[in-house]
Amino acid sequence: MRKALMSFAAVSALLSGAAVLQLKYSVQEHADRMEAIAAQIHKDREAIRVLETEWSYLTSPRALQEKSIAFLALMPPAPEQVIGSVTDIPLRQSDDAVDGGASVVREQAISADSEKTAQQRGEQT
Amino acid sequence: MTLLSVKTVTPMPAPGSNCSGLTQAPMQMAKTRLAVGFVAFLGLFILMAARTVELGMAAPGQRQVAETKIEVPAVQFARADIVDRNGEVLAVNLQTSSLFARPYQVKDAQALAARITQILPDVSQAELVEKLQSSKRFVWIKRKLTPSQKWALNAIGDPALAFQDEEDRLYPHGRLAAHVLGYTDVDGNGLAGVEHYFNDRLVDPARTGEPLQLSLDIRVQYALADELGAAMRAHQAIGAAGLVMDVNTGEIVAMVSMPDYDPNNVKGVGDSERFNRATKGVYELGSTFKTFTFANALDSGVATLDDGYDATKPLKVSRFLIRDDHPKSRYLTLPEIFAYSSNIGTAQLALDVGTEQQQAFMQDLGLLETAPIELTEIGAPLLPANWQKISTMTISYGHGIAVSPVHLAAGISAVVNGGYMNAPTLLHNSSAWPNGRKVISENTSRQMRQLLRLAVSKGTGGRSDARGYRVGGKTGTAEKAAAGGYNRKALISSFMGVYPMDDPQYAVFALLDEPKGTKETFGYASGGWVAAPVVKNVILRTAPLLGVLPKQEDEELYQRVALMIEDD
Repeated sequence: MRKALMSFAAVSALLSGAAVLQLKYSVQEHADRMEAIAAQIHKDREAIRVLETEWSYLTSPRALQEKSIAFLALMPPAPEQVIGSVTDIPLRQSDDAVDGGASVVREQAISADSEKTAQQRGEQT
Repeated sequence: MTLLSVKTVTPMPAPGSNCSGLTQAPMQMAKTRLAVGFVAFLGLFILMAARTVELGMAAPGQRQVAETKIEVPAVQFARADIVDRNGEVLAVNLQTSSLFARPYQVKDAQALAARITQILPDVSQAELVEKLQSSKRFVWIKRKLTPSQKWALNAIGDPALAFQDEEDRLYPHGRLAAHVLGYTDVDGNGLAGVEHYFNDRLVDPARTGEPLQLSLDIRVQYALADELGAAMRAHQAIGAAGLVMDVNTGEIVAMVSMPDYDPNNVKGVGDSERFNRATKGVYELGSTFKTFTFANALDSGVATLDDGYDATKPLKVSRFLIRDDHPKSRYLTLPEIFAYSSNIGTAQLALDVGTEQQQAFMQDLGLLETAPIELTEIGAPLLPANWQKISTMTISYGHGIAVSPVHLAAGISAVVNGGYMNAPTLLHNSSAWPNGRKVISENTSRQMRQLLRLAVSKGTGGRSDARGYRVGGKTGTAEKAAAGGYNRKALISSFMGVYPMDDPQYAVFALLDEPKGTKETFGYASGGWVAAPVVKNVILRTAPLLGVLPKQEDEELYQRVALMIEDD
């Protein structure tokens, strides 16, 4: 009985010692990882500054205007095109078909469209 | 065993009493001790087990975690950033590298120099070879490389080359807003613009992390610069200046001076490019000054809109002759005098106002001293040494006094915004208004808005009328002073516009220095022909950005005054 108790105490002391050591190492590892992450965050922040500056350079109004002229047919909005509030938008005629989301398209419009595409496919093949 | 026995001894209350017990019944004693120790440890272990179970059962939210904060080293830089009102970066300090070499480690100077000059074309190869063969231990090859250059140089892999980290000031928008921002020298000291004015604040180590926010809007700045540049080229002007100002706060949303320069590289930039025409340049601005004369006369009660003056023939005062550019040769009402920009009528009005009153009013509007703006490049107004009757008359229509565009914009803002004078500012600060000083009454301001609107819809400023934005404004055309008089060929043509006139938000000013007439303007180079279209285009481009909506004009606002203007 006493021997069993003794060995139990010794084993549990050994085990708890090993566990504490293990805990210490894992804490150390976490601390190291935290430091590495902090260093990485610092590096990233520096990189973000550079990228923000580059973004600012690339989206400078002059650069955007040059790109817009080269690739888009956009002009500054005319006063008639500026809509101030929702109430300025005229109500849509109930039977107007609208391209885009299916929820705003009449059912006939969808079926007519799909017929058309089916025909085109037929012509291609 | 020893460990246990030592531990079991400790909880015993009086060590003196054990000694006698141990000799009498050793076994009994040992058993008691063990029992005591056992009970003590059992109690403690039960306590720990109970606590473990309690912790295990507790809700996760109640757990107490030791406060550990990850310490991220801050990104350090020597000079604070400058941003615009929307937070867009205008000036920034970035880490760059500079390339140096240790000549004693160089094996083949010729080959190395050839490879370097391939990457850095602006480095002279002959000089580089000389540097690499010198007996020095350290030579600079190029300061402040771009990241791609550094990458390429690193790829050479020569041990004689090395990099030194340095900070460089970058202006990602280049020429845009160069005169507002200014520039810094190699060591990072601000030498012009806000870089100079706020140098101490920008390098203050406690505040480098906090960017300096300007009132500029880079999008509006570009629209103004683009339109002014186009007008300057079209009319072959030698210079141009422009401003967009928030009339209610005095904030400057855009400030352009042309010709301009790139603050990233100020090497070889001349004085003409560095000169800020919007704040340092002082000009006789011509008829735009009539706005002040009218505001003064209406506010002091010297005249009402129903009055008028005879403008049948030029006015002769001592050796001066005051003429009209658009002569009507008849009796003109005040609204007509303003809309048709009659010098004769305005001069007579100024005489009725009087010299002292005129001076006091101009002082109120800050036109007689340097503008209190956050730049060191500011020009003091040029005033007549001897403010006589003739000065009063010529100043009433903007001759004989020279002020900078920023003076004019601040003054006009006060006239139209209900009479509050705000100091022009380059910092974003929305709390300035309505602390402005009251200079004219609400009623006078309303009348001035009507006059300014009619000067556009019926008068000389017609080419600034951006449809839907209710623009009001006044043209100004002045001959440049030359030795012994005025040069009739060299003009300063300007237009001061404010919109929308029913609730003024922004003042837009455009000035062209010595514009030439073109076929499209029928040879005219006056403010109404060359500067007004610039203002119109800027308003059309920027009003949607600034949140001003176009709408149908309320004609009734101007009806009473409009009826007093007779077309002929």
